[in-house]
Amino acid sequence: MKRIIVCGLIMLILVLATGAIAAEKQTLQIVGSTTVGPIADAFAETFNNKYPNLDITIKKTGSGDGAAALLDGRCDIAIMSRFMKDKEFKNAVSKGIFPVPHVVAMDGVCVVVHPSNPVKELTSDQVRDIYMGKITNWKQVGGADLKIVIISRDTSSGTYETFHKLLMKKKEMVKTVEYVNSNPQAHARVKTTKGAIGYIGIGFLDANVKALKLDGVMPSRETIASGTFPLARPLFMFTNGYPKLGSMTHKFCSFYLSEMGQEIVEAKGFVPVTNY
Amino acid sequence: MKYNTRHILNKIFTVVTAASVALMIVILIAVLGPMIWRGSSAVFFKSTVEFRKMQLDLHRRGDKTEIDDEISQSEVYRDFIYHKIDAFKKGINTDYYTDRVKKIYRQFSKELQYNGIKGDELSRRRKFARGIRRDMEKAFRSLNKAEILQIIDNINKFKGDERIANTKAVEFFALADEYRKTIKNFDLSKRQQYAQALEEVESLVKQLLGPRSNEPLPAMIMDRYGATRLDLANELLGKIIWKRQWVQQSSGKPMIEEKICRSTQFAGTELEDLFPYIEENFDKITIPRFTFYWQYFIDDSTSGHYFGGVGPEILGTLILTVLAMVFVFPLGVISAAYLVECASENMVLRIIRMCINTLAGVPSIVFGLFGLAFFVLVFIPFFGGPSKPCILAASLTLAVLTLPVMIRASEEAIRSVPKTYKEASLGLGASQFRTFVKVTLPAALPGILTGVILSLSRVAGETAPILFTGACAFGSVPKSLFSQTRTLSYGSYDIAVGDKIGMLVPHNQYGMVVTLVLLIICLNAIAIFFRAKIFRRLKGH
Amino acid sequence: MENTITNRETEPVADPSGLSLVLTPLEDLTGFLLHHLGRLLLLLITSSSVIAVFLIFFFVIRESMPFLKEHDMVEFLTSKQWYPEADTPKFGALSMIVGSAYVTVASLIFAVPVGILAAVFLSDIVSFRIRELVKPVIEILAAIPSVAYGFFAVLVLAPWLQNKFGFTTGTNALNASIVLSIMALPTIISVAEDSISTVGRELREASYGLGATRFETIFKVVLPTAHSGIIAAVILGMMRAIGETMVVWMASGNAAQIPTPWWDLSQSVRTMTASIAGEMGETVKGSDHYYSLFATGVLLLVLIFALNIISEYFLVSAKKKLGKI
Repeated sequence: MKRIIVCGLIMLILVLATGAIAAEKQTLQIVGSTTVGPIADAFAETFNNKYPNLDITIKKTGSGDGAAALLDGRCDIAIMSRFMKDKEFKNAVSKGIFPVPHVVAMDGVCVVVHPSNPVKELTSDQVRDIYMGKITNWKQVGGADLKIVIISRDTSSGTYETFHKLLMKKKEMVKTVEYVNSNPQAHARVKTTKGAIGYIGIGFLDANVKALKLDGVMPSRETIASGTFPLARPLFMFTNGYPKLGSMTHKFCSFYLSEMGQEIVEAKGFVPVTNY
Repeated sequence: MKYNTRHILNKIFTVVTAASVALMIVILIAVLGPMIWRGSSAVFFKSTVEFRKMQLDLHRRGDKTEIDDEISQSEVYRDFIYHKIDAFKKGINTDYYTDRVKKIYRQFSKELQYNGIKGDELSRRRKFARGIRRDMEKAFRSLNKAEILQIIDNINKFKGDERIANTKAVEFFALADEYRKTIKNFDLSKRQQYAQALEEVESLVKQLLGPRSNEPLPAMIMDRYGATRLDLANELLGKIIWKRQWVQQSSGKPMIEEKICRSTQFAGTELEDLFPYIEENFDKITIPRFTFYWQYFIDDSTSGHYFGGVGPEILGTLILTVLAMVFVFPLGVISAAYLVECASENMVLRIIRMCINTLAGVPSIVFGLFGLAFFVLVFIPFFGGPSKPCILAASLTLAVLTLPVMIRASEEAIRSVPKTYKEASLGLGASQFRTFVKVTLPAALPGILTGVILSLSRVAGETAPILFTGACAFGSVPKSLFSQTRTLSYGSYDIAVGDKIGMLVPHNQYGMVVTLVLLIICLNAIAIFFRAKIFRRLKGH
Repeated sequence: MENTITNRETEPVADPSGLSLVLTPLEDLTGFLLHHLGRLLLLLITSSSVIAVFLIFFFVIRESMPFLKEHDMVEFLTSKQWYPEADTPKFGALSMIVGSAYVTVASLIFAVPVGILAAVFLSDIVSFRIRELVKPVIEILAAIPSVAYGFFAVLVLAPWLQNKFGFTTGTNALNASIVLSIMALPTIISVAEDSISTVGRELREASYGLGATRFETIFKVVLPTAHSGIIAAVILGMMRAIGETMVVWMASGNAAQIPTPWWDLSQSVRTMTASIAGEMGETVKGSDHYYSLFATGVLLLVLIFALNIISEYFLVSAKKKLGKI
């Protein structure tokens, strides 16, 4: 009995090990942001159907790890929700790697509140004051007499960075801010808390939370694409040099330009870069 | 102290200890109960006809004629709904016309290029057509009937213009006429009133029924089918019939949620009786049927785990766990044997013991970073492997992670083997090594297997150590030790944090966690079975 | 195993003419070498965990060196300002250190009494049969993967806490402490039970014989005798709680603050492990922020090492005491 198990284990390992030599498949490794991840997932689904011989793996460990993976040669495409930082560029160039950005979609960061909140509109200054702790009650901005519960994404996420840079003007947030580590969680927190204010990607908007007008602009596809909405950011795919034309990497990185790619980007809740 | 008080204290103490154990059982039920209850709906649920259609399309499951029959049955009711909506939609939603105009224009410019028209001529003719397109789009947007009619008349003046004669662009005029006919008897003020509400209803109906058969297939598989599960369908039905709205009662107070019946919202229009119709014929539209979707455990999933099961995840978890066990078992047992049998209480032993304890306390995320820095970037390349995250690196990292658990349990087991066994063997003249392999180890095996159980569950459930070393969120079934794999632990984490889809398919989210728990319990059961068997054999001798 | 006249049965009897009990010098040497080589080999394999610990220490310290060199350690340990990505970054890890300590201690307050009482119940109070029935519960509790606990914390416990007690947020220190204590319980119970059952029957019987009740026997005889093992159990449970990453990351709310007033469990806190896990993936490799996270890792490792030394001290002193008796 024991022998059978041992034999079975050895066989399993052998099969796995030899599999590497037997099947010479084309691989495409993608590492990076959790925000861009869903787009890459959906692209990969269509690519898998189109090219059965292609082996795509996607790992969502964060933009910083995406950049590091591109530098280490651990991936072919780094998906990032922010542009590469100076330091990353310098390190890359010193390693002989030349990161080329491809903007695959636009994302808007919407300020949201509980749907029962009568407030419809806030200015950037008001939002900043709320997050800095100067405004603590909804009464102060024309709402009901209710304490404001401030929800923020964790300080390491790209969403936070966009919000912090474009809206907070790099001011420090008040200590009582509650940090959540994903868009769905931020959505869930605002949905279940009457006095909550938070910010989420435009793809996560639904009837359970209410998006506020910011400086008089409602976040929507049009206002984000045109840049009128102040909290918009591009989403990137980085490759080492411009990929060889016709290669799988090239096909993957330029898929967003096709009609199908646009459709997917839109279905995933982001704003396509071009308007077909 | 009085005898009585002592006794009462004693009783109370007994009750308190029993209560603490009861509390644990309650905790176990509280943790597992809701999860299993919700997770089981990933496998046992009432499916709609859309689900069977999807299974047929994607996996060739089910009887084709039967399913086609069901589809055609439900099609009758669907057609009625579509017909109603289309009739009402004309004139209200002009997206259809806008799309048509766009398409005609695009075909026109392609046609010109195809015919070899270049340079100024091309841009001149395109500019002209673009002008018509803009005018028509303006007409579609406008709410003023007189203005629309004037625009259409203006356009019709260009009929037969040489710049667009004999091209696709002549379809512009047919379209303009069609539009004129549509709005002839139409009250344009309705457009403002109903446009948004109609759009809402349409998108809900699309979510419920899926795209129409004459529409082009959407790019993503998740959009190709309507609600596949009755619970989701019911939820959508509620949304279709009742519109939720937040209303301000008095200023300075929170708004209150109100439900409005949609048939009152659309009162006096063609859509009024659509909602009662959907409600009445709901069963005939969806054709619910109880389904035991056991293929959940072998199916692959579509992107974001929207449809499908957890097959590759289970396989990946098993491979990682078994491999980690293969690495850690000999290492753990030998270490334990050394600690018990060979080492005397000295500095070396104390250092080793301290290191093992420290290893047990190292945060799992540090293991992940260590695995990336050591196994992925140094260790495997040193032996000629690729310097990329892979199953091998992940399982090695997991083996290191679980080493202390393994050592401690084996040590305990080996220590608990009665001295008399060993002494009898040594007394018969067997060497120390032989005594250990033939006598101590078999006697300690049940205890060692307990260690295996503990490490198994630790290994299978960890996310952080494999995050950077060998797990991926999307990928095919692993082909070799040097590819990455999906796992249940990372998969459930990924659904929770990544995509907005995760919010739409809670059953899959719970299903994955429950699968993981069940898998671990199964692995445990196997180990427990072997433990009992060995134990019995030992007793028998 | 008939010819076991020499104590090396693997060696065939070299000289059939005389069954000499005296080993030849060569036999002696090979035996000596084999024995010691074997031991050395075993020692090497055993020290694989030592090597692993040293590699982990080496790697983490190497990656944190740039930060440790350039920044003021006093500020790192005492400042509450954690703004690593700001224009003038501030690295003050105090709120995270306090957060870790806070969550760990709070979880132990719940887990230690329950764990020890349950261990006593299993070892001293119930019959063997019931014990065999309850043991699987503990084993399953230990087997539930941490992801599942994380889900329990976020999807079940958090809304419940929020609705039941009216907290502003359900993901807070209390939530994290409850889940961590559930996770630490199996470890505490199994180690404590082991040490309680190793206390000899004689001691218990002597105590009963003097007319003590069970309560008195356990509290005055059994637990004091087993205290070293119980302390070890607590420390092991504590290490489990400190080292846990993903669950805390999901359940604690992650606000880098020290709760005011200090006993207010309903506020969000952030622990060191959560900080590392959450920020490592996003930060720029090679930046100060990256190195500072590794410095946090060093802090954690040192903490765990210190805890180990303490537990080792307790165990040794307990042994000495028992030895003297």
